[in-house]
This record gives sequence, C-alpha cells and structure tokens, in this order.
Amino acid sequence: MANEDNNNRDPGKDGNGAVGRRTFLGAAGAGAVATTFAGCLGGEDEALTIGHLAPMDNPLGVGSDRTAQMAVDEINENGGFDGEEAELLTRDTRTEPSEAQDVTEELIQQENVDLLVGTFNSETTQSILDLTAEFDVPFMITGSADPGLITDFVGDDYEEFKNVFRIGPINSDFQSESIADYCEYLSELHGWDEVAFLRDNAAWTEPFGEHVPDLLAERDIDIVLEDALSIEIDDLAPVLSDVNESGADYILRFFAHINAGEMLGIWHEAEYEFGIEGIHVAGMLPVYHAATEGAASYETTSQSGAAGVSPITDRTQPFVQDYAERYEGEDEPPTQAPMYMGFNTYDGISIFGEVVDAIGTTNTRDNLDEFVDEMLEIDFTGVAGQISFYGEDSDYPHDVEEERGDDGTITNFPMTQWTPEGDIECVYPEQHQTAEHQMPHWMQ
Amino acid sequence: MLGDIGTLVLQGAMISAIYALIAIGFTMIFGVGGILNLAHGALIMAGAYIFGILVRETTVSWIALHPAIAFPVTVVAVAVLSWGLYQVLVRWVEDNVVITFLATVVVAVASTELVIYLFGDTPMGMTLISGALNLEPFGINARPRYVQFAGFVVSWIAIGLLWFYITKTDDGRSILAASMSERGAQLTGVDLHSVRAKTWLIAGALAGIAGIFLGSTGSATPLMWLNPLALAFIIVVIGGIGSIKGSVVAAYFIGFLEQFTVTFVGQGFRGILSLVVLAIFLLYLPQGLYGREFVHD
Repeated sequence: MANEDNNNRDPGKDGNGAVGRRTFLGAAGAGAVATTFAGCLGGEDEALTIGHLAPMDNPLGVGSDRTAQMAVDEINENGGFDGEEAELLTRDTRTEPSEAQDVTEELIQQENVDLLVGTFNSETTQSILDLTAEFDVPFMITGSADPGLITDFVGDDYEEFKNVFRIGPINSDFQSESIADYCEYLSELHGWDEVAFLRDNAAWTEPFGEHVPDLLAERDIDIVLEDALSIEIDDLAPVLSDVNESGADYILRFFAHINAGEMLGIWHEAEYEFGIEGIHVAGMLPVYHAATEGAASYETTSQSGAAGVSPITDRTQPFVQDYAERYEGEDEPPTQAPMYMGFNTYDGISIFGEVVDAIGTTNTRDNLDEFVDEMLEIDFTGVAGQISFYGEDSDYPHDVEEERGDDGTITNFPMTQWTPEGDIECVYPEQHQTAEHQMPHWMQ
Repeated sequence: MLGDIGTLVLQGAMISAIYALIAIGFTMIFGVGGILNLAHGALIMAGAYIFGILVRETTVSWIALHPAIAFPVTVVAVAVLSWGLYQVLVRWVEDNVVITFLATVVVAVASTELVIYLFGDTPMGMTLISGALNLEPFGINARPRYVQFAGFVVSWIAIGLLWFYITKTDDGRSILAASMSERGAQLTGVDLHSVRAKTWLIAGALAGIAGIFLGSTGSATPLMWLNPLALAFIIVVIGGIGSIKGSVVAAYFIGFLEQFTVTFVGQGFRGILSLVVLAIFLLYLPQGLYGREFVHD
C-alpha cells in the first residue's frame, strides 16, 4: 500500500507522480485520527467551514490552497459570510480517487463543511460527486474540465446532483472550440494551416480527440499528423522527426502527463521549423521558463486567468499582485501567481460569499434549493472572467458559461506564450491580448 | 526506408551508449559483491541534479560553472557518493541479501523525497552542449543534438578506460578475479573489501556520467531513477549478470530494439518488445548472453 506511489513516473505534470511518503503518512495519520475521534467529537454545527480539496504535492494545488485562504480572509475581514467568519480546511486528495473519498467523507461528516471547493484531475472529482450529493453539500469544481462531470451527473439526474457547480475552467467541449478558433487566428496571422495534433493518451484529452479534428476541418485547417502518445514516453526525438517530416506548421499538443521539457529542448537546439501550441500543464508553472533554461520560449498554453498577465476583468491584476505580495517569500511554488485552479477557487469562494449573503443563511446543506436558485441568478465579475452558470434545461446544467465576444468566439479560455525573456504574454483572444503571437526567432 | 534505417542506426547507437553506462555499474556491483544495488538509479539521479546545480545560474546563483568543469566535478562527486553509500551503509549489511536489498530501496525512495524537498518536483533542465546537426540534406530524417554525440563518444571512452583498467592493471584484474570467484581471489591475496569499495567508486562514476547525459538530453526529475533502474535490470539479465561485456552488448541490443520498435511499429510499443525479450531470456537463457563470466563459489 505504502509503496503504490512509486509506480508513477511523471512528477509535476498533473500531480500524479512524486506522491511523497510524508504526504502519505500525513494523510494516513489524519485519517486514523479522524476515525478514532469520529464517535466522540461530532461536528460543531455553529462554525462555518469551507472544505478545500486539491493535490497538495502539485503547485496547482498549492496555488489553489493559497487563493482559497485569500478569499476566506478577505471575506472574513469584510463582514464575513452573511456575518459569520469562515474557517478553511484544506485536505490533500493527491490524485487518487480513494484518497479523495476518504478526506471528503471526513470533511462532510466530521467537519460539517458548508461548501466543498476544488479537485484537480477528473477521476478524483468524479469519485466524490456521489458523496457530496448524498449529503447535499454544495460542491464547486475548480480544477477539472471534463464535460462528463456535469453531463453524466447534474445533466443525468438533476435532483440528485444539483449541489454540483463548475466555476471553471470552461469544459473541454468549449475548450476544443476555443482552441480551434485560436488555430484560425494562427492561420490568419502566420498562414499556418497544417497541424500535427498530439495528445496524452489519457482520459482528459479524449474530448479534444473527438472534437478538434472536425472543428479544424470546418476552418480549412489540415491535420497532417495525429497521435495519442503514451504518457510513459521518455524519448520525444522520433516524434519531432515525424512532425518535421509531415511538414506541419505547428504542433498542437495537449500534454498534462507527458514531460515536454525534452521536446522543447530538442525543438530549440534543432531549430525545427514549426511552432508548439495548445495546452501544456507544466508550462503554466510560473517558474517553468527558468526551470527549462529558456527552452520554454515561444511555446504556448491556454489557461484560465491567463496567468494574471492580462486585465481580463478589473479584478484580475490586483488579485495577482496581492497574491505575489503575500507569497513571494515562500519556498514552495507558485509564488508569483497561482496557476489556473487558484483563479477558479478564489472565484468560487467569493461567489459563495455573495450567495450566502443573498439567501441569508450559511446553512447551505439544509437550504440547498435556495442556494441553487441563487447560484443560477449569479452574474459575477471574478478574477478569471465574468461568471454565470447554465440552468437546469441546458446541455451543461450548472456548468460555467463560456463568454463570447462580438464575433461569437469564446473569450474566457485565453492563450499565453513564453517570450525569450521569460515573460508571459497573453496572445489570444484579441480582447485580452497583451502581445501578438511570436513565431520562434529561427522562423521569423 | 533507407532514411528510416539511417535514423534507426543513429538514434539507436546514441541511446544505447547511455544505456551501457547505466548498466555497467549495476552489473559490476552485482558481479563483485553479489549486491543488488537498487540505489543505482538514485546515483544516476544524483548525477543529473549535481550537474544541474553546478551549471545552472538560477538554482544556486553563486555557482555557475562552465559545463566542461562541472562535468568532471559531478562525476567525482557521484563516485564519492557511491563509495560513501558502500562504506556507510552497504558494507555493514552486505552479507544479508534481503537487508541489503531493502536498505538500497530505502536509499532510492529517500532520494526522491530529498529531491522533492530541495528542488520541488518541477523538472530541472540543464545544458551540457547546445545545438544540433541537421541530417535532412543527407536523407536522414533526424536532427540529433550535439549532446547525444557527446554521450556516445564519452560512453565509449569510459568503456575503453574501464576495459583497460580491468584487463591490463593488477588493480583492475583483482576486480575481475573477485567477480569470478571470491574465494579464489582471496587465496591470491586480494583484499575483497577494498575491491568492493573500488567497484562502488567506479560504478558511481559511470552512473554520474549517465546522469549528466540523461539530465541534459531531457531533464532531472525526482523519479527519474526508476526507468534507468528498470533498464539496468533488463540489460543485465540479457547480458548475463555480472558480465561487463554482456552489459555493453545487451545495452546496444535493447537500445536498437527500442529504436526499431519506435521507427517501424509505433511510439506506444517502445518498451514492450524489451520486456518480451526479457521474459524469453528468463525462461530459456537465464544466465544471459555472457553469463559464464560469473561463477558461483
């Protein structure tokens, strides 16, 4: 049991790897203590508690924990949640469904949480949906984009799962559309219209595998190479050779598990004449450019909140500055800006504050219908964008609505690019753009 | 097709050279002391991280050595680490196979924890030599990096030096003797303890070199020791446990086999063929290709 985590070989990309023994022992210890005292403590019904769930060995989770604390502190200082002070309880889910279930059960049954927020990988999120529904605990998803989390649960049995909302990011169906629009932008800007479409061979990329080819075809963009790569891959040189041979103008890749550092290194040194675009979770880490010694230059990734470089709403940049001031002295990354999950978690707790003020009670578990009705009314200016939710009769009930610009393209899934200087620029969509997309210097 | 074969030969040769470095140290330690050193991968990881710290400006700002200086410093450092691991831990438990096995596992796992504690789990990139050679004008669809060529050359230099040491010097021959028969070696006046310590030192140096090349072709990560360790196992079984020649031959065999699979079958099947070959060897040729060099007392 204690040795399970040694099987993972991809630290840092999705939190799947490098599960520490400390973490394990800590969690096991917490579980043991919780079980021991389960009978005698009961829960304190009085205090308002918010449970935050994230993989804490992953910078995404650390950033999310910090922004959750920021949101709770701010609201506590400004009159509280309907007058009450809230306490934040973070539990480490790792990226394991069984662990997530254990800690969620503890939060619901022992701590009597009035809100659950967080969860990163889709498998973990899915594993606790039943539990939250059974106890009517409002649950705000802030890290997983799988459309099935909404359609197969809230969509399938609304009465049972109406406690579930997704704050962000927009689901992968919309993400596919937004990425296709981005490809169209690249086509107009650089004349790039041949794509090598690569993705992790993992559940989270399946919606992309399903939708992206058709969406690109509609936009007269050709896929000249398509592959779902083993997430255990450790030699990407042959892949780059194949892309080169295919004549693609750029790689459109969806990597969360695969460590693409090597790919970027080869790309720069060999000066391959194609771009690297798409989604790369490791590349969202604020220290990633330094970690790769600059090999990340020119790669792009989309991420909610655009790493805080663009004033997506009036609140985005003050929020990121505040974050940096609070955490710049910390050892553990991310210290300059939270990663995408942190933006969403912050918005989630802020929305919770508004909603409980409006319904006049923090006892959400006994007043779930009022809570849900109020959530559906919300039109909230968050740090990651303008937030409102789809209603019961839509295709994606309780999912965050995508924002669309005047031309109908989705605007709340911005694309960022690393510059050779190590800065992040928002290159798409135009509304949030801080710089135009750059081709690698050897192609210019 | 011809281009594919060119790519296969080139990439296969370069990867195999690193595999050989990974496996030789592992096999030597097993051959001489009968110790299954599961911390071998951790030593490889140490090579990558030490080199990374020495050459990168961002990790420890006041150390930023030229790679040409950092390279030998790293090799010496990992050799000393390996020697220290033997002197401090392994020599006291080496008579008990199970305890040694567990002790080295603990070291390997602890190394992951230590690396996460010190550097986090963000991959650390590093540069030994930058640049790449475009072979497309020659009909080969590959742009191998200079660092891969360097790995090939350094690997063969290291193997050559090792071969010279083992076969041409008395000191080295004592290692070979100890690996063939401990009792025989002892009867001819070989100090077994010092031979084993030397073996760990050499294995550490080779692991350090392998680590530098793995780190600079990819990146250093807290679990980067797992794959090399698994590879070392496969190669050593195929080559014959304890045989250096066998390790080199098997490293090239596995390297080319993997490259062949990638080129002609598909990226996803990379490791599978090696495992099939491993299973065949375990069933039908458990002593490996050159297993006879290792004789039990």
